[in-house]
Parts: sequence; structure tokens; C-alpha cells
Amino acid sequence: MKLRLDPRAKLFLLVLSNLTLFLHVSLRTEIMLVVLLLSLYFLSGKTKSGLRMTAVYLSLVAADLFVIPIAEGFVLNFLSMLSVGIRMMLPCVISGGYAFSTTTVGEMVCAMRKLKIPEVIIIPCVTVVRFFPTIAEDYRHIRNAMALRGIATGNMALLRHPVQSLEYILIPLLMNSNNVAQDLSVASMTKGISMPGVHTSMTEIKMTKTDYLYMVLCTIPFVLFLGGVM
Amino acid sequence: MKPTNKLTVPDLISIGVFTALYFVLVTIATFSSAALFPGFNNVVLPAVCALISGSVYMLLAAKLQKFGGISVMGIVMGMFFMTSGHFIVSFAANIVMGIVADFVAKAGSYKSRKGLLFSYVLFSYGLFGPVLPMWFMKDAYVANLEARGKDAVYIAELFANINMGTFVFAVVATLVCALIGGWFGQKMIKKHFVKAGIV
Amino acid sequence: MIKSENCSFQYNGTDTKALKSLNITVNPGECVVLCGKSGCGKTTLTRLVNGLSPSFFYGELEGSCATFGLQVGRAAIEDYVPVVGSVFQNPKTQYFNVDTTAELAFPCENMGMPSARIKERVAECAAEFGIEYLLDRSIFRLSGGEKQRIAFAAACMLKPQLLVLDEPTSNLDYKAIAHLHDMIAKKKAEGTTIIIAEHRLAWISDIADRYCFFENGTLKGQWSADDFRKLPVETLQSMGLRPLDISPYHRQAVEKSKNRPAGDSPVIRAENLSVGYGKNSPVYYVPDFEIHKGEIVGLMGHNGVGKSTLAKTLCGLLKPVSGVIAPAKDKDRIRHSFMVMQDVNYQLFSDSVREEVLLGAANPEMCDEVLAALGLLEMSDRHPMSLSGGQKQRVAIACAMLSGKEFIVLDEPTSGLDYYHMTQVAQLLSKLKEQNTAVLVITHDEELAAGWCDRVIYLDDKEK
Repeated sequence: MKLRLDPRAKLFLLVLSNLTLFLHVSLRTEIMLVVLLLSLYFLSGKTKSGLRMTAVYLSLVAADLFVIPIAEGFVLNFLSMLSVGIRMMLPCVISGGYAFSTTTVGEMVCAMRKLKIPEVIIIPCVTVVRFFPTIAEDYRHIRNAMALRGIATGNMALLRHPVQSLEYILIPLLMNSNNVAQDLSVASMTKGISMPGVHTSMTEIKMTKTDYLYMVLCTIPFVLFLGGVM
Repeated sequence: MKPTNKLTVPDLISIGVFTALYFVLVTIATFSSAALFPGFNNVVLPAVCALISGSVYMLLAAKLQKFGGISVMGIVMGMFFMTSGHFIVSFAANIVMGIVADFVAKAGSYKSRKGLLFSYVLFSYGLFGPVLPMWFMKDAYVANLEARGKDAVYIAELFANINMGTFVFAVVATLVCALIGGWFGQKMIKKHFVKAGIV
Repeated sequence: MIKSENCSFQYNGTDTKALKSLNITVNPGECVVLCGKSGCGKTTLTRLVNGLSPSFFYGELEGSCATFGLQVGRAAIEDYVPVVGSVFQNPKTQYFNVDTTAELAFPCENMGMPSARIKERVAECAAEFGIEYLLDRSIFRLSGGEKQRIAFAAACMLKPQLLVLDEPTSNLDYKAIAHLHDMIAKKKAEGTTIIIAEHRLAWISDIADRYCFFENGTLKGQWSADDFRKLPVETLQSMGLRPLDISPYHRQAVEKSKNRPAGDSPVIRAENLSVGYGKNSPVYYVPDFEIHKGEIVGLMGHNGVGKSTLAKTLCGLLKPVSGVIAPAKDKDRIRHSFMVMQDVNYQLFSDSVREEVLLGAANPEMCDEVLAALGLLEMSDRHPMSLSGGQKQRVAIACAMLSGKEFIVLDEPTSGLDYYHMTQVAQLLSKLKEQNTAVLVITHDEELAAGWCDRVIYLDDKEK
């Protein structure tokens, strides 16, 4: 059975991962947390991205352990600082990536409603998710149209005429976005998006024992660190 | 639904649509600054983004002409930043700067060009979120180096030119780029959207 | 039921009334088709009936129009939600959620129904229309026809007494229209009142009870379905309407698919061509293709048989997956081709019509001549985006004519057009032909293919 965490549990893990930066936790604490976070990927059937994240993290830890002690000179030190920098951001990226790739829009909306986030925030959030694929599609259409007009063709053209290219890409994109915003408003208003009163969710989410268990598990490394054990 | 000063559902949907566009531009800015200035990408990101996103911001402001739009955009941006694995401070920076920028634009009734330009500059500083963790990391990194027996003088030298200088650079670059980007955005709005009778 | 008395409506920022002193009554359970040229007022009537005007599309209202007791202008748009279900023209922009099940659940969620009942209602509605196989899918991956079926099902979720459809088939092929037809017929049989504003009249003729004809905002005539069916085609054409029976046009189009290409020096030719977007997407096979200067060729076939993919490959926007194509280089094909897209908004970049058509023009000296020929001269200083849909399309065609390119593709140029505007587009095609251009028209429009194409190529699924 695949593991499914409640979005609120995922949010908690996200906040925890951010603490690694605030608290300057030790490498051991960080590794413990990252192992727990990475296991989530494998338990939820996200093996491929799990493996990718693991590989990145391991190589950065290896760089820290083996390259930094022998690093001399500005360039090497700069590179090692870079690798440490990326490694420190990684717990956030790992838990964020997990939250992003395993939460459906329905779950997200339901969690937001349960957290009493107002519709003023929920509606734009749903629209953002809804609109991303449209931007990609529009961009392809516009680039095709530009190619047929002989504007900014070739890979370097965008860099050669940056201002003009920006205008030719952004203006049709914005014009269309404006139209889509109107159509979406019309369609969603006839379906009652502006109804007063409570809006419900078809998707149901519930905090289970597994959620609490995982939240406790991930807190342990911090307790150990703050208690001076690690 | 008469024209009101409160945000209506169509307004919220417009905010969502333009926030999505802004988010895409931030992503493009992130990748291009990583490709053009590796290592300094977080430092130049706010500037690069400010340079290209002016039209989106100005169109949203011109379309809504009421308080709340820019704030909500900042809040939603912050929330997406957070869940896409960015540092939690980004969340705060976006929200705070979004609301401040909204107040500034409101002071000019969303019409004053200078007011909007200034408001855009402030909004652009919302992207300083990803720059801030560098300070947390610096301490951790210094501790790391010291633990490994590196010479303290050497470490101080290493950081002398990467720290205060980069911060000032990021602030100034963002200011300049936001002014140029915002001005370009206003020009585009006038040239296209006002002429076509859309706003 | 719907009762409108002396109702007029004028949109803000316009100087003529979109609807003029309308008196009409629609009885419960009736299916009424609103027809007339673009801009005749039929869409405005649908907006008065579903509450979008004046709440969202602001304007000046006179007289009264009541939908099941809801007075337009007085009732809030929210009051209409449980009573009226609406379906719109563009399949791409009328869903608010990213997956199909969520879209069906959406109206129920907004009404605050508990989760278990929403699930029940979604299952019930999907079973009713036989669309269970569409559940739990990303709407972005659906075809236009499937999207419209989801839109229709979503409009029915709250069991409305009235369904309002505004040109729901503009972007659909015949298979998809047949599905939509069956869904509407089902609702009609259940006693739901139905109002359809539509250009294509053939598919709906067995469901409609009454036809209302609008011209310049005025209701000019009403016919019972039987009487309307007796009107000769010429009368319909003089009213600017599409035919009620398209089978003769279909036969003619099929006949034209037997024509052979005329000439011996094709602009583009291809053999054993496989086209597609690469990995993870379908590949379509086209045994042979050629097009010559001064030909209008129709490219027909159901949605999803690769018409657009083939056209993009021919224009050099895509590399062929395999097969022979001449000119072989993508760059050479791009240099010789132009495409008038279905959504022309993507290809308008400039801030005036004149600059737009001069952008990338090979023959700038012909600018005034072409603009005059297309009736665009007096709007040459206006912003292209301030024009009507048809005018924008003409701007794109003007760009094509000035580009001096010898191969021009038009993607669904007559979708959503009435007879009058369809013939206008058809005359533009003839102009391109006179210029000695090779014209390829991707279309579902049998009437256009039968009347104006020199030959027709049918792509079908079997050749995948």
C-alpha cells in the first residue's frame, strides 16, 4: 500500500526542514532528517524522483566530507561553499518537492479550507495551478507564430534582441491571459464560485496515526540536537 | 455585482492568472541567472526578475485599480515559493513587500505613474527571500571550515568581498532593474492595452 | 419559464443597442434555437437569461426579462446558479479545475453540499451521460469534444430547470457534435428547458421546437421547427444562416476528394510521411501529399487524426518523424509558409494594423492595396486587439498576403461563423488563389469544402 500523508502533515515537515537552516543543526541531525524525508518518496511510489534526490544529496555530503578538507585557493573554496549552500537548501527542496508532487489540487483546496484560509486566497491559488499549462501552450503557439513571421528565429535571437523579443512574447501572452481570465470568471460564476456561505470539498482529508507518527519521527532529530545528544 | 472597491471573484481570477505569469517569469529569471551568473544566482535573481516582469505587474495594477490585488499576489507567490521548496523567509518577504507595495500604489490611486513605479520597486524586493538564507548559511559554513582546522584569517579574507559588497550590489541592481523594468512595463501598457481599449 | 417584455440592452462603451425591445416567451420544457449573424444579439439574450448581464457584462438595461421568476438586473448572479446551467463556446477556457471529476464536483462544492452527496451526484451524472471513462482525468489531455461533454455535464450537476448554450459546437467535429446532441436530447426528454444560440443548425434540427431569428438586435421572426425546416436553402442563405441539411455538401466534399492535384511543380510534396510531436505522443501516417500554386485544398477528418500536426510539419514548425518531404529542410519550409491560426490572437504583435501587416512583409509596397482589398484600410491605425474576431482574422490573412509566401495554411478559418461571414472568408481564400498561392484549409466545414475547395484530402484514423 502506498503511503499518503495529509497535506497538513506535509506542511509541518516543510516547516521542520526550514528549521535546519535557522538552528544550524549538525550534519548528523540533517542526515537523519533527510533520510526520513527521502523515505517518503519511496513509500509513496515516487521512486524515480526519490533516487534522483538521494543521489544529489549523497554527492553533496561526499563533497563536504572529502573535498572541503583539502580545498585550497579561492576557486575551490568558492565551489565548496556553493555545494554546502545547495546542500543546506536541500531539506527544504526535498520536503517541498514531496508536498508538490503528491498533493492533488482537491487536497490542497480542502486543506486550505480546513486551515480556515479565506476564499480570497484560495481562488487565486487554484487559478494559478489551472493556468500554468495554458501558459506553456500559449508560449508554443506564440513562438510558432514568430517563426512563421521570421521574428527572433534561432536560439540566440532572443538574446540578440531581448527587448523586442520580450515585447513580442509577452504582449500576446498577456492579451490572451486577460481573455482567459474573463472566460474563466464567466464559467466559474455560472457554477456558483461566488456563492455566499460555506464551500465544501468533495475530496476529504483526515489526519491519521501515520501522519502523527511521521511528524513525531521527523521531530526526533531536532530534539536530539537541541538536547545536545547529537 | 456593481463596480466596488472590494475584490470580486473576477478580480481574484485575474490575480491568479497574472500571478501564474509572474511565477513563470520568476522561474525563467531563476534559470537564466543560474546559467549566466552561477554562484551568484540568488543575488542577481531579484534584479533579473524585476527587469522582465514589469508589464505583468503594471497590467494587474491598471486592470484592478483597487486595494488588495498586489497584496494577494504577494501572498500567493509566497505560498507557492514555500511549497516549491524555497526557504520559509521567502514567504514572509513576499507577503510583507506585497502589502507595502499595495499601500504605495494606493497612495497614488493606482494611477500615478511614479507611485506605481515605486510600488513595483518595493514589490521586486519581495524576491530577496532566497538571498537571506545566505547569511544563515555563512555562519554555518564558517563554523564548518573552522571545525576542519582552516585558518581563521584565511576564512575572513574569503568572505571579505562576498558579503557586504554582494548585498549592496543586489539592492542597487534590483533598484535599477526594477525602475527600467517598471518603466518598460508602463510603456507596454500604454502602447498596447490602453490603445486597444482593454484597460 | 422565460418571459421578456420590451427588453433592451446596451453594453457599456458601445453606441448601439445589442438587443432592442425584445418580446419573447419560452415555455417550460421547450427547446429554442436562437440564430442570426454574428453580433445579431443572440449571445446577449443568453446573458440576460443566465444573469451574466448586467452583473458581469455591464450595460444599460430597459424593460424586463424574467428567468423562472428571477428578474434580470435585480436578481444577483448567485440566484441563477441553482436554476440555470450554462455552456459556452470555447472548450479550452470554460473549466476551472484541472481534473474532470473536480470540475463536475465544483458546482456542488460551491453550494456547500457534503462530500458523500457530491460523490454520489458525480457518479450519477457520469452514468447518465455515459462519461464514466472521462472521470479522474486531466482536462488538459482531453479533446475539444470531450471537454465540451464535461462542460455540459458540469452544467447539469445542480439539476437546473434551464440550460443555456452559447455556440457550444463552434470548435467541434461531427462526432463530438453527435455526442453533445445526445446529451441535450436526454435533458430535453426529462423536461429541461433549453436555449441554444447557434450558427450550425443541422445537428440540432430534431431537438428544436422553435427557431428565433435575430438581426441587428431585433427578433425578426419565429418559426416552429416544422415550418423552419420547409424554408428553402436560398432563404436561409439570404438571412445569413447555415443549412439545416448538410448531407449534399458532404457528398460534394467526398466527391472532391477524388480530384487529383493540378500541375507538375508542387510547392510542397511528401511521401510515406509520419508526423508527430516525438516521444510519448501519437504518430500519424500520411501516404502522400502534394500541393500546387493556385490550388485551394481542404484538409478534413475528425479531431485527433493529425490534421494540425501534418500542417505544422508541412510549414516546417515540426520535423517529420520519418518519410520524404521536399523542401527537406525545416528552415526552407518555414521561409515559404505562413499559417493563419485558429486563434489569431497569438499572431498579432504590433500596436497598429498597418505595422502588423508590414512586420516581416516581403512586399511592403502592396500594403495599401491589400488593406483596401480586405476592407481594413480605414482601421489601419487601430490596435489589432481592438478589432472584432473576423477583422483580426483578416489582418492575419493580410499578413499572409504581404509575406509573399507561396504556401498558406488556414486552421479552421470558418469555425463559429454564420453563412454570411463564411462566404466572406471563402472569398478571401479565392483572393489568395488568384495571387497564385497554394492554400491549405484545415476545416470541419463541409459547406466551405464543397463550395470553395478545389480538392479535399480526408485523413482518417485507420492510417495511423
